[in-house]
Amino acid sequence: MKKLMTSVALLLASTALAHAEGVLNLYNWGNYTSPEMLDKFEKETGIKVTVTDFSSNDEALAKVEAGGSGFDMVVPSANFVGIYVEKGLLQELDHSRLKNIGNIAPEWANPEWDPNRAHTIPWQWGVTGTVVNTAVYNGDINTSAIFLDPPEELKGKLNVVPEMNDVISMALKYVGSDQCTEDTEALKKVRDLLVAAKPSWVSMEYSTIDKMVKNEWAATSDWNGSAMRQRLQNPDIRFGFPKEGFPIFMDSVGILKDAPNADNAYLFVDFIMQPENAAMLSNFARYANGIAGSDAFMDADMKTAPELIIPEDVKDKGYFLKVCPPKAQEYYTAIWTELNK
Amino acid sequence: MAERRFSVTRLPGFNTIALLAFAAIYLPILVIVIYSFNDSNSLASWGGFSWRWYLTAWANEEVQTSTIRSLVVALLAAALSTVAATMAALGTTRRAKFRGQTLIYVAINQPLMVPEIVTAVALLIFFAWIKVATGYQGLAYLVLSHTAFCIPFAYLPIRARLEGMDATLEVAASDLYATHWQTFRRVTLPLLAPGILAGAMLAFVTSLDDVVITQIVKSPGQETLPTYMLAQFRRGITPEINAISTVLLALTIALLIVFFLITRKKD
Repeated sequence: MKKLMTSVALLLASTALAHAEGVLNLYNWGNYTSPEMLDKFEKETGIKVTVTDFSSNDEALAKVEAGGSGFDMVVPSANFVGIYVEKGLLQELDHSRLKNIGNIAPEWANPEWDPNRAHTIPWQWGVTGTVVNTAVYNGDINTSAIFLDPPEELKGKLNVVPEMNDVISMALKYVGSDQCTEDTEALKKVRDLLVAAKPSWVSMEYSTIDKMVKNEWAATSDWNGSAMRQRLQNPDIRFGFPKEGFPIFMDSVGILKDAPNADNAYLFVDFIMQPENAAMLSNFARYANGIAGSDAFMDADMKTAPELIIPEDVKDKGYFLKVCPPKAQEYYTAIWTELNK
Repeated sequence: MAERRFSVTRLPGFNTIALLAFAAIYLPILVIVIYSFNDSNSLASWGGFSWRWYLTAWANEEVQTSTIRSLVVALLAAALSTVAATMAALGTTRRAKFRGQTLIYVAINQPLMVPEIVTAVALLIFFAWIKVATGYQGLAYLVLSHTAFCIPFAYLPIRARLEGMDATLEVAASDLYATHWQTFRRVTLPLLAPGILAGAMLAFVTSLDDVVITQIVKSPGQETLPTYMLAQFRRGITPEINAISTVLLALTIALLIVFFLITRKKD
């Protein structure tokens, strides 16, 4: 009881000030920040990091934009970084204060949505590709044809994760077009392709791990992190990086313009660019980070995971999802609606 | 004669509709509860009975702190809103009828009718000004927001109680030269107590369950149990969330049963 009363008292007192010596407020997706890494940061710097959860990019943006949020750092997805920058919500990073900036792996050092990493630093990334049980089908799995034009062996044993932007952009790449296109010819091809493929799909579900591991499905579209967990439980399962093109998601951390503790935020951002600390993030969230050399510090099962390393020959086939203009968005929705009829 | 009286149970399909309605409400909840005892990591396949997710949740530090925070906010909001609601209920029942009475009634119950997201956005913008101006980021924002939307939940049972009370007792007290204050202290308030307690409990439960306003208003580090649960979705949820939901559900049901016992008419 006494402990409870103390907690209550502490609770009322502690959150009263956002700005104080040795504190830092991180605004991040839930269950995405390694507590061990935060402990290590506190031990090294004496700065206590408080993590606050958000559940969508839109929600986080709304709160930050309203002002006075009290947060120092936010972790938006790639397609939202540009919006934060445009609205003037993120600080331009002073790279001279980040001695570990050179640790960012070359492929993540200059993304189109944040040139030269002027505002954000990589947190975690993943890709959408194909997951196939090779005991059922042992042909080429590095192609979107796995679910867009499925081989006989997989028909009727195939799931597609119902992420509209992933599925339609991958289909657009498959027919030789590009995401957010307004080219009605290409969009018609995509519609016909998807409508023709759908009878081969047994379901459109998000939770894939159980059913793949238990051989209820023989293939699915999926995230690489999920594919890794499936392979660890069922060694026949492999992840494919479609050569026609595959979506990448990347969440990156930036420092807010109105950060009450910007100096501490710089220390933190620099800290997570040290390979051993970036590896702690990955070991917790089970996704790859964008820091070179961090794999040496990862858990044994992740260190050698082929799902987390994009093969050289398809490195240029990955693309970041954009926020499409309204017209293209309308086409997407129309195709998606027809597909889900 | 009695059989001739209208009874809705005699309409065709009464039992079917009632059963379907109960099934629609309780089946999903039942699934949540059953899977909270699932031994596997999955929400979809059964791996045998186990308490392990309850133990996991119990040992989870984030769950602990957000639970304590939820309870603190709910207690404070329930207390404040009940005081306001009691005064409002007295002000709308223990006086002569006045112009605009209906308007006042609607105004008090506004949070029941305005969509929660509208209130949330309004509070977000309003509090942002205050936060920028003062730098204060404390728990008061959450407590005050919760108090505001809990008022009607506390008000309705208190007002119902006041309207059901025998007014002649108050008249008798005045006849016996009790002052206004004495009448209130010795007659009205004791009779009203069950209504106040019931209102406070309903307000407490309403605050405890809130997601939308809390998620938008919370300052850094102010995770409550429902917002903590919401944030788990992107990374995939485990039966730990079922276990927490089940406990939250049990607490809510327990309070509602007490509420029912307090408010039920004595035979």
